[in-house]
Amino acid sequence: MNAHTGTAPVSPWQRLWGAYVRWTARYPALASLVPFVPVVALWAAVAQSGLFPPVFFPGPAEVVQKFGTLMANGMLPAYLEDSVVRLAAGTAVGLAIGIPLGLLVGLSDRAHRALWPVLLFFQAIGDIAWLPILLIWFGFGLTTMTFVIVYTVLFPVVLNTVLGVRSVPLQLHRAAQSLGASKARVIWEVVLPGALPNIMTGLRNGLGFGWRALIAAEIIVGTSGIGFMMFDARRAGSVVEILLGMIVLGVLWYIVDSWVLAPIERATGERWGLVTR
Amino acid sequence: MLPLLALLVIWEVVVRAFDVSPRVFPSIAPVFNAGVEAIRDGTLIRHIGASLGRIALGTLIGIVVAVPLGIAMGTNRAVSTFFTPLLRFFSVLAGIAWIPIATLWFGYGFGAITFVIFNAVFFVVAYNTLLGVTGIAMPLRHAAASLGATRWQLLTEVLLPGALPNIVTGIRTGLGFAWRGLIAAEMIATNVGLGYMLFVARDFYRTEVIVLGMIIIGLIWLLIDRLLLAPLERATIERWGMVRAA
Repeated sequence: MNAHTGTAPVSPWQRLWGAYVRWTARYPALASLVPFVPVVALWAAVAQSGLFPPVFFPGPAEVVQKFGTLMANGMLPAYLEDSVVRLAAGTAVGLAIGIPLGLLVGLSDRAHRALWPVLLFFQAIGDIAWLPILLIWFGFGLTTMTFVIVYTVLFPVVLNTVLGVRSVPLQLHRAAQSLGASKARVIWEVVLPGALPNIMTGLRNGLGFGWRALIAAEIIVGTSGIGFMMFDARRAGSVVEILLGMIVLGVLWYIVDSWVLAPIERATGERWGLVTR
Repeated sequence: MLPLLALLVIWEVVVRAFDVSPRVFPSIAPVFNAGVEAIRDGTLIRHIGASLGRIALGTLIGIVVAVPLGIAMGTNRAVSTFFTPLLRFFSVLAGIAWIPIATLWFGYGFGAITFVIFNAVFFVVAYNTLLGVTGIAMPLRHAAASLGATRWQLLTEVLLPGALPNIVTGIRTGLGFAWRGLIAAEMIATNVGLGYMLFVARDFYRTEVIVLGMIIIGLIWLLIDRLLLAPLERATIERWGMVRAA
């Protein structure tokens, strides 16, 4: 039992810290959850203290309660589904246009000369600035929102694909060709894998901008979705739903980022030894 | 320049050939006239000034607060492992998602919009600074310390330069979020600024004003990119050899 006698006494804090280190080493997910505990506690304390009027600054308990009611009456799942489906559809279309376009502009000097400045300019206009004219063209509806997301995802993907394609050394093209590879095979087996890390970077940037554009579009177009829920709550002056919406968005992105994007990036960029993190 | 001129020609030809209604898309002349008119009566300058003022103020405060905080969090290992997931969570939320609550806390207007810009820049820059400082190899810090560097020298000659490429990346991303957040917030929550100009023009189907606004937004971002971000990146990231010059 008392095998430790003779060594310096271990303070309870050190024990706690040791336990924390052991548990987070065993379950890495814990390390990204535990820091939120004191933040939520602080939030609860500030809300409880009455420093701000509770209408403007509700505590975590109310938000959890609201989460329960909105889950039970099916509103939150329905809105969440709307937002996620819009984002997924927009991203899929954006990738389907962006990667081939990027290959074209990256591989052909003529296409590069003709399209590169145009791409840079349209990328600079930015997705949200398109909203007013899209509303005139397509009205308040799904087409407008899909267009905005496709637009947002498209440019980072195209620009990064071009960078990736151009970073593949010419010798690799020539080596594959001299071994008898057809043009299609060179693209499929040399250019595309070489550009993949950049394409992933483009996708990550595009998604980061894309879901912000989605929130803005949902606020302004205002038919359904998490952004709509938040702004509708704002009109009613209900901070609880706004906070809930923000937390849902944050958690959602956290999940997409660490379960979808990060593994793909590990499979491409880090395998190629291009990321140093 | 030539491809952009070609684009202008295509625009004019398409509008004429298909007889596009000016309520759907304008031809070049009305856009040009709208620009001249807006410059003459001073509204354009007012809108641009309001937008630029907001973004400059929000970005400046964001960077000034975020960089010291990011470095402070990054120097200690326990502190940085604690703050990394928190900052990651908030940098994901940064920007547009704050518009509803910002307008509720600060009311419609200058305060809410500047707050949205500030937090778009703040969280992204702080997170990237933290990543940058924790990414500095420990032997470098030990080497500097064992050569007798004071804390201040360690900060200015090891930590800050080492984290600089990440800080600049953070500024670029944060400013991108902030610029979009600005346009969106101006559409929702104010009565002056480029976003407002676009959104009001929509109510009257004045597509020439909308297109004018879009072109100006594009040009301003290109200027920010060329005159501000690109030189910064050249001076840090590319010099450190972390990015191949495009």
